[in-house]
Amino acid sequence: MEGNDNNNAAIVEVIDNGPVKITGQIVLRDLKKDITVTLTEVNLCRCGRSCNKPYCDDSHRN
Amino acid sequence: MEMEKNSFSGGRRYRNDEITVYWKPDACVHASYCYRELIEVFDPGRRPWVDMNGATTERIIEVVNMCPTEALTWKWNDESKNREISADQTNHVIFRRPELLEETEPLGQANPVSVKIMTDGPIIIKGDFTFSYSGNKKEMKQGIISLCRCGASNQMPFCDGTHRKIGFEDK
Repeated sequence: MEGNDNNNAAIVEVIDNGPVKITGQIVLRDLKKDITVTLTEVNLCRCGRSCNKPYCDDSHRN
Repeated sequence: MEMEKNSFSGGRRYRNDEITVYWKPDACVHASYCYRELIEVFDPGRRPWVDMNGATTERIIEVVNMCPTEALTWKWNDESKNREISADQTNHVIFRRPELLEETEPLGQANPVSVKIMTDGPIIIKGDFTFSYSGNKKEMKQGIISLCRCGASNQMPFCDGTHRKIGFEDK
């Protein structure tokens, strides 16, 4: 990866026809469920069809 | 242990051997949980008003977590312990003031990126991160993006408000 001089840097990658993949030090807050979690990697649903929102469950493939 | 340099941008900090407590006066709404629960540590009539030797670390954490605002927050001095914080530690800086995770610690720790799942709405991502989508790549510094979560935006991958028109609902 070019210019990656900060090995702690977070990466937000929108995967074509798939979820948004986030890696790094992540604080995720779900306002509706009123939960906060810390994570280092997560795939979030972008299609609106996951049965495990906000996480991707591969429903976009169906 | 006596406190080190007593100020940071926006307020003051107080340390014992295990934790640092941050005090941000602007954010205080005078709910007064702190001194009603633990006057030995939080005494508004004393200078400095916080005495980190006045109670155990566990008790100080417990009372700081009662503060309903970000006026009082805390973190472990051992940075490695700040990475796995359970959600009931409500006033740990990671939830209230993540920028303070790095404060006084020139260890090259990146600030965590903040990801908010809005109610029946988009994903709001804030902070420092590399953002890549459809072949584009951008370095975001204190950046903010709003990504579609309903699948119906006309501005993919960004939110354009369509979730309201289609009645998108989290289940």
